Amino acid sequence: MKKSLILSLAFILVFAFFISCRKKVEEVPPPPPQVEEQPKVEKVVEPPVVKEPELSEEEIFMRKSLEEINLEKPLEMIHFDFDKYFIRDDAKPTLVTNAAWLKKWESVNVLIEGHCDERGTEEYNLSLGEKRAKSTLDYLVSLGISPDRMKIISYGKSQPLDIGHNEIAWQKNRRAQFTIIKK
Amino acid sequence: MIKKLFFLLCGFFLLAGIDLYSQQEVVLSIKEGMPAIPIAIPPFIVHENNGETNTAAEALHKIITDDLKYSRVFALLPKSYYSYIRPLNPKKIFFKDWESIQAKILFVGEISNDQGENILFEGKLYDVKAGRFIFGKRYQAEKSLLRLVAHKMSDEIMKIFGEPSIFTSKIVFVSNRDGNDELYMMDYDSHNQTRLTFNNVKDYMPAWSADRKKIAYTSYRKYKASLYILNPYEGKLIEVQDIGTNFAPAFSPDGKKLAFCSTIEEGNSEIYIATSEGKNIKRLTFNKAIDTAPTWSPTGREIAFTSDRGGTPQIYIMDAEGSNVRRVSFGGSYHDAPSWAPTGDRIAYISRVNQIFDIYVLNLHTNRIIKLTESNARNESPCWSPDGRHIIFSSNLTGTVQLYSIDYDGTNMRRLTTKGENKLPDWSR
Repeated sequence: MKKSLILSLAFILVFAFFISCRKKVEEVPPPPPQVEEQPKVEKVVEPPVVKEPELSEEEIFMRKSLEEINLEKPLEMIHFDFDKYFIRDDAKPTLVTNAAWLKKWESVNVLIEGHCDERGTEEYNLSLGEKRAKSTLDYLVSLGISPDRMKIISYGKSQPLDIGHNEIAWQKNRRAQFTIIKK
Repeated sequence: MIKKLFFLLCGFFLLAGIDLYSQQEVVLSIKEGMPAIPIAIPPFIVHENNGETNTAAEALHKIITDDLKYSRVFALLPKSYYSYIRPLNPKKIFFKDWESIQAKILFVGEISNDQGENILFEGKLYDVKAGRFIFGKRYQAEKSLLRLVAHKMSDEIMKIFGEPSIFTSKIVFVSNRDGNDELYMMDYDSHNQTRLTFNNVKDYMPAWSADRKKIAYTSYRKYKASLYILNPYEGKLIEVQDIGTNFAPAFSPDGKKLAFCSTIEEGNSEIYIATSEGKNIKRLTFNKAIDTAPTWSPTGREIAFTSDRGGTPQIYIMDAEGSNVRRVSFGGSYHDAPSWAPTGDRIAYISRVNQIFDIYVLNLHTNRIIKLTESNARNESPCWSPDGRHIIFSSNLTGTVQLYSIDYDGTNMRRLTTKGENKLPDWSR
């Protein structure tokens, strides 16, 4: 009897323990519901634009092709009297401006072309054009430009600016003009 | 007493004569030279009569007739005269017939077909008065070469009369007909205009070598005006001189030397001389003035040129070594572009008066001057034909610059070019 009592007691104890244990388990709060991770929305902003450093005048100049520079005509042409090749007084300020530009751009080499109007013969005009180019070169040398930076050529009357046959056209055609050939 | 008076008078006339010559008066159009020789060129005889051969015969006849008419050596008999006499029989020529219509020389042409494409042309020259055969020549050629055959025949006829070959000579010139100044050449009668240079640069002032094989000229390349020598028949081009502006080349008559203008030194144009290949360059003129446009005397001993050493451009002559310089043009303020006649006695040049350029011919023996052209235009760059009877030049007579030829006495002016603008002619010797 006693044995069965003990047994039942033990059983009860175990049961009770079990119950209590269970109770304990039940008391554990449910794990928090798993949150699904959402991708973070990233706002894309434009990257900072690379800003070129401001170009110096020199860099702008060096970027241009010879053709582009020549199109801008940085060196103004000068004109001559009929059959003459001396530098006229009205051409001198132009040459001073041209010399200043050549001093600014030390690396530039220039071709001075001598031209004539149609009222001279082909042969004499070629020589006259050369004389015009030469006196222009000499004047620029007197203003401090190195003769090594300048070349001369004569086209005689073969390249008129104005194909007219009047004093206005002739005056336009009697000229020394500049072409930049190296920078 | 009478004797004394006679000497005095003689002296007076002598003085007057000297005075007259030293004044260099301008005299218009003097007809000079010997009378032309009357020549009969009856229609050519055609064997194996067919259409094509007939056309070829007519073409040959026309070209040879035109050539000999142009020569100024012959006077052609009017065609109508041939109907007055018995028709020509090449086997038996009745010289009395030809004498009766005043022919001194008779040219008989016979033409036949030779194996299809080729023609066979035979020309014979007879002395009518002596009734004898002078010379004959036979040519075989393709039909496309008719013009050349005719010109060769004409040249042979001229040769008999001691004349240089002119009809096979060539004229080189500058034309912009294809957009850019390039070199072209043509026959003396403006046929066969052929382009010689193919580049995008300006080609300028061509000059033939004595052997008609090479052309010296200026070409603007690489910011330079360099001198080149072109062999158009071999397609060869060599650069001769590339320092400074180089122009106005002129080969010596013996073909060994080349005179030209250059600004090698000090940017002033001086006359230089080199071998015909442009080697061994020597300077001939030494002064601060412009010296340009050299032209050789036919002996090769002297060079005429333009210089403004006296203040205005004038014609001077110097020895080919550069010494003994003397002025030969007077009485104007602008003389240029001298061309020494192959006969040696005359120099053609340009004189500018009131913006008009006309061609003048100075006779070096008599100091007489002939005004060759009379036009309200710019006539430029005169150049003599090989026989010294014609001058080619450029003129803006019609508004555009074109080439013309004119005879030594100012007659027979004819236009040679039409396309584009054409200038700076040089007639091969």
